[in-house]
Amino acid sequence: MAELESMTPVAAIVCILLGCTSLLLLKRSPNRGWIDQMGGMMLSWIILFMGVSYAATAVREALEDSSVDLDFFRYTQYSFALVSIILGASFTFFYPYPIIQKASRIKAVPYFVGVLSLVLIVSMLLMDYKYVGATRIVYIPGFIILVSVYFRFLTDEIKHGDETARRLSFAAGLIIIALHGAEMTWWLAQLISINDEFIGRNAIQSGVGDYSRIPTWIGYNVMTTIGAVATLTLAAGETWRAQSKGRSGFTIIIYLILGVGLISGIADYAVLDIVNSCMNTVCNDFPESYDIWYTFTTGALVLLFTPLISMYVLLNFDVIDSGSEDNRWLTRIIVILMLLIVSSTMIELLQSFLPVSQMISSAILAMVVAIFIGWEERIMQKLIEQGESISKKLSSLKEIHEPDLDVTELEFFSKAMGSLLVFTVVLCFLYSSIT
Amino acid sequence: MTKDSGDVRDVLTNLYSNSTANRYIAATVLALVVVFSYTGYDTLVYRHDVIQNYSENNEWLVTFETTSDTMQQTVVLQDEETRDLAFDMAEFSVPDSYRVGYIEVQIVGEETAGVVSGNQCDSIAGDIVRNDLTAQWDDPSNNLSGQDSSCVPIDLRLSVYPEFDGEDRTVRSINEFQALMGWTDDGWGKGLLSLTLELDTNSNTPFVGVDDDEEITIDINVVMFRASVEAI
Repeated sequence: MAELESMTPVAAIVCILLGCTSLLLLKRSPNRGWIDQMGGMMLSWIILFMGVSYAATAVREALEDSSVDLDFFRYTQYSFALVSIILGASFTFFYPYPIIQKASRIKAVPYFVGVLSLVLIVSMLLMDYKYVGATRIVYIPGFIILVSVYFRFLTDEIKHGDETARRLSFAAGLIIIALHGAEMTWWLAQLISINDEFIGRNAIQSGVGDYSRIPTWIGYNVMTTIGAVATLTLAAGETWRAQSKGRSGFTIIIYLILGVGLISGIADYAVLDIVNSCMNTVCNDFPESYDIWYTFTTGALVLLFTPLISMYVLLNFDVIDSGSEDNRWLTRIIVILMLLIVSSTMIELLQSFLPVSQMISSAILAMVVAIFIGWEERIMQKLIEQGESISKKLSSLKEIHEPDLDVTELEFFSKAMGSLLVFTVVLCFLYSSIT
Repeated sequence: MTKDSGDVRDVLTNLYSNSTANRYIAATVLALVVVFSYTGYDTLVYRHDVIQNYSENNEWLVTFETTSDTMQQTVVLQDEETRDLAFDMAEFSVPDSYRVGYIEVQIVGEETAGVVSGNQCDSIAGDIVRNDLTAQWDDPSNNLSGQDSSCVPIDLRLSVYPEFDGEDRTVRSINEFQALMGWTDDGWGKGLLSLTLELDTNSNTPFVGVDDDEEITIDINVVMFRASVEAI
């Protein structure tokens, strides 16, 4: 069986492409509400920063056996992942239900994100990323906000018959998956408390002294706990909704994650002897089938489907003006391109371990292309037709403040993030040169 | 106070305005706390303590318990005869969990030298022949060839298990298994031990008669070991 190829380079391309295009499309959508503008910019920059981090990871993976000094790429990988975590945690304060609505506070966000990012980037650089896992603690308030939005509007829909409320609970649910998707697939392992054994294995494999830091372990435990609770909460919520409103696509996605987590938990339990072999004997490798399972579930969800979920949020909730003639062609290109990249990667991955000849995989890919071209009009039409900004819903509830902000003031966020990107790259380059 | 004032307090009041939803939200937060508590105990207390045992490579004392099995063969060689002998290592009894450490060979001629006996010693040569026997053929402690013409036994030695010399040693590793790992390889000491003997008699002994042969005894001692470790 051939070795499974890494999906990281594809994830880097997809994220950078989507991040840049989304920023361009947002620039061409001046008539959006401030929530959409702010939420869209934040989401686009999260995707772009993740793309840069994935690109650095891909270079490290490609050159790990060479004698090339990879410190710059290591610093870049961690620094941009760190910025995207801070941005991801901040994003939940603006979208889908903005907690921060005052103009003065919105204007302060670029400074807050920029300064906090720089402080953490520099301190983590100096501490050689020994405590980098601890930064995930920042997700806690955002998760509580997202769950609150989900239940508030799910209850409004089911108990009070407000059909339009689904838009917000759906958006909150999607963002929870986008931010915590990987950990959501480990829900059973976390509930039966075996993730600590995997942490222990990683600690021994990575060199215990550098890894077994309490703050880092708190960060990991926070993330896995959020993932487990998110899966069960969303599954409970969607089951409740399905009973009164019927199942939706989102219900199926949640059940899929629940099922994947169930199988993963059983698989994790089955390999505990291998996990603990590091402590008792020597670190044995996991079975190949176990690696394949995780590549196609957690790996694909994080690296390939998270950008797709983000794209869906941008289009379906009308964050970008995909209906305008100026934007339509670019939106179409990016949607088809992303779907094709992800499909072809999955086909290539399947081919790497299934005895499928190249002729057959090419034919399958051609079929996928034909389906996307044939349904392109329909896919786009559906996305655009369904698209309704959540700010309209919040305005109708009179729960949204209209701050006195012009477009230039909102766009300052993008300028600040652009500067942060350049500054971080220069910092990583300089630090790698002098150490 | 207006619903859309934008003040954080008003925003939160709006968000948590639905009492039914608040119950679910509270249940979710409670679930977060409960799951974090018990998994946190496992990770941050129990697992952290376990891992701390491996935070540095521990020092272990490796000691060896040895035993041996011997085999003896006697051959009579004629003057200027060369004889090849082979001993199958499978015929030596290796107890469970023991490995072959090294092989000692002693070659002894029948004659003893001395003024009283009037004997003059024959010249005997013995070699351990390099072959497919799994051993440390290039180990500096080996003595694969010997020759004697003064009626002194010839001692040969072949090191079999890598770096085994029977002496205790200290190693650093994260656990007992890894400390022992270097001393549990199977496969060493398999094959045929091949010896070559050569005799050159000295027959100018007065009153004794012509000495044109020699009875040679070969003693093979296979030293085996079992390693055990204890933390220092």
